Amino acid sequence: MEKDRAGIPVAGFTSNTVPWELLRAAGYFPLVLNPPCGPAPLASQFMEDGVFSARMRSIFDGVSSGAWQFLKLVVIPRTSEPEHKLYLYLREIARHGMGKSLPDVYLYNLLQARSPEGEEYGIQRTRDLKQYLEESTGRRIEPADLARALGESNQARQAIGNLLSLRHGPEPRLTGTEALPLIGAIYFMDRAEYPELAAQAAAELAGRPPARGMRLLIKGTPLHHAGLHKAIESHNAVVVAEDDWWGSRSLGRQIAAEDDILRSIANAYYCDAPGPRVFPRDINDSWFFAAAERVDGVVFYLPPEDDVLGWDYPRLREALAQRGIPSFLVREDAAEGLSSECHQNLEEFVAKLPVKS
Amino acid sequence: MAEKQLECTVAAAEHQKAWFAQLRRDVFENQKPYAIVQADMPLELFQAMDVPVVSNQWWAAMISAKRLAAAYLDAMNACGFHEGLCRYCSLPLASTLCADAAPAPWGGLPRPALLSARLTCDCIQRVFEIWAEAFGTEFIPLDVPGAANLPPKWWELSRYRWSELFEEHRLDFMVAQFYRLIRSLERITSRKFDLERLQCLMEGVNRQEEYFEEVRDLICSAPRTPVRMQEQVSNVMATQWLRGTEWAISHAKRFRDEVKARVEQNRSACPAERLRLMWVGAGLWHDMDFYTAFEAEYGAVFVWSMYLAFGPDGYIRYGLEDPLKVLASRTVSMNEQLHNPPWANEWIVDQAKRHRVDAALVLTPLGTRPSATGNRFIELALERAGIPVLSVFADMVDARSWDASEMRCKVARFLEERVMRREGKVP
Repeated sequence: MEKDRAGIPVAGFTSNTVPWELLRAAGYFPLVLNPPCGPAPLASQFMEDGVFSARMRSIFDGVSSGAWQFLKLVVIPRTSEPEHKLYLYLREIARHGMGKSLPDVYLYNLLQARSPEGEEYGIQRTRDLKQYLEESTGRRIEPADLARALGESNQARQAIGNLLSLRHGPEPRLTGTEALPLIGAIYFMDRAEYPELAAQAAAELAGRPPARGMRLLIKGTPLHHAGLHKAIESHNAVVVAEDDWWGSRSLGRQIAAEDDILRSIANAYYCDAPGPRVFPRDINDSWFFAAAERVDGVVFYLPPEDDVLGWDYPRLREALAQRGIPSFLVREDAAEGLSSECHQNLEEFVAKLPVKS
Repeated sequence: MAEKQLECTVAAAEHQKAWFAQLRRDVFENQKPYAIVQADMPLELFQAMDVPVVSNQWWAAMISAKRLAAAYLDAMNACGFHEGLCRYCSLPLASTLCADAAPAPWGGLPRPALLSARLTCDCIQRVFEIWAEAFGTEFIPLDVPGAANLPPKWWELSRYRWSELFEEHRLDFMVAQFYRLIRSLERITSRKFDLERLQCLMEGVNRQEEYFEEVRDLICSAPRTPVRMQEQVSNVMATQWLRGTEWAISHAKRFRDEVKARVEQNRSACPAERLRLMWVGAGLWHDMDFYTAFEAEYGAVFVWSMYLAFGPDGYIRYGLEDPLKVLASRTVSMNEQLHNPPWANEWIVDQAKRHRVDAALVLTPLGTRPSATGNRFIELALERAGIPVLSVFADMVDARSWDASEMRCKVARFLEERVMRREGKVP
């Protein structure tokens, strides 16, 4: 809202697969929409109960209720089906005049199943997004604008990499409960300011004693809150990684500033950003198994709202067992706090974990 | 099960059974390839290459109708697949992974040469990857870009102005993916794809759907519906899986002829018809008797489901010079057309008015969440059009939480309290 008051247009987006660099180069302050999940009266009216996640419902409510009038634009990627539906629902609300002060809503048609035609399609749709941004702002996005935005973003990537390195190894300096908000802040703040703040945090954290406990990896529904991390870390364990875009897989690798910067950006989001529609599964599996080899155990997180990653669970559980990596399944909503039974089982799981040499 | 009123309905069922038995013989004895695909795939490409296809949803309906779903789904849950996962599109997978849980219908699915699916929801690629691994066969996915050009009355544009309606870039992308699928089909059949043959097939599909359009018009204009919804579904879907083939076209004609004759002879599905009902959503495959349960007491007849109605509006395309692109236009937006705003709600309200529908039942399948979206907009649009709606929370294939008598009571109350009183049809 401060940015809006300062005359900088704010563009909201819904997940990690929207090219921040392009929005920034167009003069927007880009921001991931992540409202607290609470009552969502408009969502209750239009979104089927038990079908959309609490986060998606809150975003729908925030955008359509007029509560977020600071938003000039919302960009929604086609990298998950609920987001595609969110786009259609918001348009319908706007068509019938049922929302208040709705911002422009744009569908960024990025696809993540790997194929030569899918890659080319993503590049073309990224060019379309650039054109749309130029037309809507009345200002051309020059290569220098893109290069500057990419530079900011890459510095943020480097800063996150430095923070993540504090979680690596046998003596992590950072708990998962601390790491998640530190990393997640990148989605809400100015990326030009992030590296310095992250560096200060990293310097302070590097000098402190290591976090003690069994080192765990979380795999499952993306965690935009630290509820599960807190619960796990209350049982002599440290979450050292999570296989989702709010944590360890946040911004991904540096994007090379090649001649065709737009193509490089599009390819980075196509190839390097995790998402539920990445295909074939080996791509997601390779990150997961590499990370799993470095921890004492894995916690699968499949809350009641999951209807996707549960398909992977039996196979991954079996693959971990074959590698001798213990795992534990949480089927409750960690945002609401885990039950005492789940806490007890978690405690027993951690207590039985063999210490890796 | 209600009596079959049309001879062609019996013929359609017999043909399907014989077709599947022949498919099994061809696979086991002659090593011929066949494919398992999602229902919204471009089946025409497979037909043009003489590769028979089994639709995943058809097989799910078969399993459900034979009351086998519970055994398979319980077995899947026991394997670690949690109870919140989709059931409609995974029930046939369950019959493969948990084959010991129940004897499969008609001897079961043999090993296919190919699996293929459009990636509409986020789970289907996982279902098909697991399935492909279990069968030891190839899986070809077709990715699905979302529609951003959404003029509400899409059915007024889809026959002639399909290329602008469905967005050129989406069509071109679909065609590029078709070529990848065609290469696989050529490899497994050792045959060359013939574009002219596809074009002929597409012309055949148009003819078939034109017959369905005539049937739909007859249902709209006849004083009482000449054909029950279940029999519409049986005849239409038996042919849609084989669309464009000689048998499918001739059966569609036979269906049209029989319905037309019934209208001319003033024969109706329910002579006491007083209320015309619409069923929105996939069929309730485990309880098809549900659809005739309100005829005797209330004269309430289901006259509409998407299965017949979508044929003409969703499939007919004129201007077949570029058959692959035309085919892309037929497949690229099915999800938006059938389920999501603004297309599904606008179309369903239009259909309700044309069919003189008195009330609608809208299925929200919480066991198959991606199919549940768009329903609140559909319900709202119907109510705004003056058509009372009853939301039905149930699964199309899983009867484990279905209480048949309670649902019948609920519908009866709805008809009495919201429909008959309003219509002045209380006896």
